[in-house]
Formats: sequence, structure tokens, C-alpha cells
Amino acid sequence: MSMIEIKNLHKYFGELEVLRGIDLTVDESEVVCLIGSSGSGKSTLLRCINFLEEKNEGEIYIDGQLVTSKDINNIRQKVGMVFQRFNLFPHMTVIQNVMEGPITVKKMAKKEARDLAMALLEKVNLLDKADEYPAMLSGGQQQRVAIARSLAMEPKVILFDEPTSALDPELVGEVLGVMNDLAKEGRTMIIVTHEMGFAKEVADRVIFIHDGQIAEEGTPEDIFDRPENERLQNFLGQILV
Amino acid sequence: MDAIINLANNSIEFFKTVVEFAPKFIPGVILTLQLAFFSIILGMIIGLVVAVLKLTKYKWLKKIMNVYITIVRGTPLLLQLYFIFYGLPSLGIMIDSFPSAIIALALHNGAYISEIFRGSIESIDYGQREAARSLGMTKWQAMKRVVLPQAFKRSVPALGNQFIIAVKDSSLASVITITETMLLARQFGAATFNVFPIYFTAGVYYLIITMGLTKILSMVEQKLKVNER
Ligand SMILES: Nc1ncnc2c1ncn2[C@@H]1O[C@H](COP(=O)(O)OP(=O)(O)OP(=O)(O)O)[C@@H](O)[C@H]1O
Ligand SMILES: [Mg+2]
Repeated sequence: MSMIEIKNLHKYFGELEVLRGIDLTVDESEVVCLIGSSGSGKSTLLRCINFLEEKNEGEIYIDGQLVTSKDINNIRQKVGMVFQRFNLFPHMTVIQNVMEGPITVKKMAKKEARDLAMALLEKVNLLDKADEYPAMLSGGQQQRVAIARSLAMEPKVILFDEPTSALDPELVGEVLGVMNDLAKEGRTMIIVTHEMGFAKEVADRVIFIHDGQIAEEGTPEDIFDRPENERLQNFLGQILV
Repeated sequence: MDAIINLANNSIEFFKTVVEFAPKFIPGVILTLQLAFFSIILGMIIGLVVAVLKLTKYKWLKKIMNVYITIVRGTPLLLQLYFIFYGLPSLGIMIDSFPSAIIALALHNGAYISEIFRGSIESIDYGQREAARSLGMTKWQAMKRVVLPQAFKRSVPALGNQFIIAVKDSSLASVITITETMLLARQFGAATFNVFPIYFTAGVYYLIITMGLTKILSMVEQKLKVNER
């Protein structure tokens, strides 16, 4: 069953057409990695999926339901997002960050939200940091809290926008490890990443975006071992060297 | 020698006057505190409402708020007090002197405080709002739970400044017959012809109030710092 279906998506910033007709279907439990050079429109695509950017044209179905700007708050509950710069709430402790969505949006009881948050923090291996403020944590720890925060809403899909690009190299592994666990659990995920090794390992499908269009897609083997598109070959050449 | 004796006598005379009049200032000081307190509290509420209204998508609301801010910032507080107490009655609106003073001072503080809030709301990283929205929060929930608490914390130093200005500005209420500290000082001065020790006493009272306020605010600031590295 398809979890996300995008038809003919166009997005302009003023005169600039950043997305030029994207068609994309993501199945339940599928892990899709988006790769492509800077400015190709990867972030914009993710942001259009949960309406942080308003699309200009096209249709987006999530869990079979056509999304209109009226029900974005409902849709966003189904679509989690993890940002490059974590965006944790600095005035809340780690556990409060994780509890915030369920309490404010779902009106969950505090006790229940706390239990849920504890379980999620255990999952990302940060139970011992529950009562710290984000500023006391390393980047890798902050990103794992951000993942737990988005899981707390029990989203159907999680979007990751370069979740490890802001991290020191030695901290990348712990975040990718958590994401790998999520993939194994059968979570539906769309991941923008420059970590080609990781994409190779976890992705069911890799999509190469060039200039606002899907230039090539396929299994990690197709994309990394037998790239057809010349742009993709160039892109991989630059990255892997 | 004479000069020294003279100076000593004058000093004794000075302090005797200070000690004599200090307790007589108490009712005025209480009024000053009340004026400052209510105009700050109401000013904060007005400031918050105006700052938030300016962020809504309704252009006309924003325009109205800007007109309010422009008028308050562009005219003397003295004139605003006169307008409400002496001007409005000619439109058939009569307000007693104390509420008039509170209204004028609160509107005045509110305009400045709204600009303080607006600045600190705008200084909050946009990613914070996006993170809140991506959890499914409405715009208002994101504002209330995520943006405003951080913005408020960032406003504290500038608010403290404004509170101190509010204490001193409350002295202008004397022009609409409110016998707060400065009007008392003028009355005592006129009655005794001994203005220096009397104004000195009034000044000390203001300093005590503003220094106390500064102390409280720096304690609040310290308390709010806990979650920063
Ligand atoms: N809010 C915006 N206003 C105007 N232009 C924008 C905006 N956001 C993105 N763009 C432009 O849209 C294009 C695509 O940006 P996008 O962030 O989607 O690229 P990306 O593929 O994520 O790149 P990167 O790998 O650098 O993150 C770029 O040319 C960018 O300058
Ligand atoms: Mg990007």
C-alpha cells in the first residue's frame, strides 16, 4: 500500500522553479533516500510533503488521503520531521521535548506522555539524559532526542533532512544507528542524506534529484554500482572521490 | 573656622529636615509604587497583545497597532496624560485622576513593551516554529508553547529597563493632581522654602525603588539562565 503519493509537484520561489514536476510514491515500510547536489530541491521536496512550504501545483496523498491546506495540522501529526539543526526546544528538558507533542497536540495525559517519552528515550539510548536541557547535550545526543520527539507523535512517515550534516564525524554513527533500527522496525522514512554508505545499507530505493526533477531512481545497487544518468555519474564521482 | 562651623550647622539642619520629612513622603511613595505597579502590569498585557496581534495575518490589525505605537512614541507622555484627564471630558468621557494616570501610563508603557516583545519574538530561530508546527501544533500553540516562553526570557533585560523608566515616568502623574512623591516634594518645598533636603529625600526614595527593582530583575534573569550552557 502506498503511504505517500506525490503527483506532478511544482514549487516556485518567485520566478525560480525549484521543483519541476515530481512524481513519487513511497510504500508502507519503505525507506527512500534522496540524494543530489546542493540546491537541487531535496529540502524543498521534504518541506512540501508536510506543508512547511506551500506547493504551487500538484497533489499529495498521505495514507490514501488527499492533503489540502485545511487539514495540515492533522497531516503533520502523521508526518514526522527531523531537521539538520535538531531544533529542540531549548527551554524544555529532554523529556519535556519528547512529551510536548503528545500533550499539546494529542491532549495526552501527562503520566501517559511521560511513560511514552521514557520508552522512546530508552530506545534512542538517552534515558540518563531525560532531565537535562538540550544545551547540555552533544549534537549526536540532541539529534537522537529530536528523533524521539518526532516518534512520540507516532507518525506514519518520518522525513529526515540531512540529519547528520551538522554533526562532528565521530557523532554521525550513533544517529545513523538509531535510524537503522527504525528502518528495521519497518518505519516508512524519506531521508535526504550525503552519507552514501548509509544510503546503500538502509535504503530500499535511492532517488537522485537533479534540478528539481527525479533524474534517476532505483535500488542502491542500481544507483551506486550501475548509474546511467550522466549527472548522477558526475555527482557520485565528486562525492566518492 | 567660621566656614567649617557654618557647614556643620547647615549639614545638621539638612539632615534634620530629611529625617523630619522622610516619613511624610510615605503616602506619596505608596502612590508612586501603585502607579508603577499597575502601569507595568497593564503595560505588559497590552504589550503582549499588541505584539501578537502584529504577527497575525490581518494587515489592518497590524496597521492599527502601528498607529497606536507611532502616536505613543511620537508625543510627550505629559501630553498623553493631559489628553486623557483634561481632553477626554470635552468628548463627554470623564475619568478620575488615578485611573486616568494608570490608563495613560499603561498605554505608554504598552507601546514600548510591545516593541520589546516583537523584537524578541522575531529573534527566535524560525526553526523553532517549524519544529513545533511539524509536530502538528497550530500556529497559536507553537506561539504559546515554544516561541513566547523563549522570547519572554530574551526580553527580560530590556523589560527591566522599561520598568525603571516606568517608575520615573510615574512622577508625571503629578500634573493631573495625583499627590505622588514628586508632587509632595513640590508641596513640602513650597511650604518650607527648604527645597534641597526635600528633593534629596524624594531622590533617595526613587533610588531605593529602582535599585530594588534592578535587584529583583537580576534575580529573575539568573533563575531563567538555568537551561543555558
Ligand atoms: N525560502 C526560500 N526562498 C527562496 N529560495 C529558496 C528558498 N528555499 C530554497 N530556495 C532555493 O531553492 C533551491 C532548492 O533549495 P533546497 O534547499 O531545496 O536545495 P537542497 O537540494 O536541499 O540543497 P542542499 O543540499 O544545499 O540542502 C535553491 O536554489 C535555493 O536557493
Ligand atoms: Mg537541503
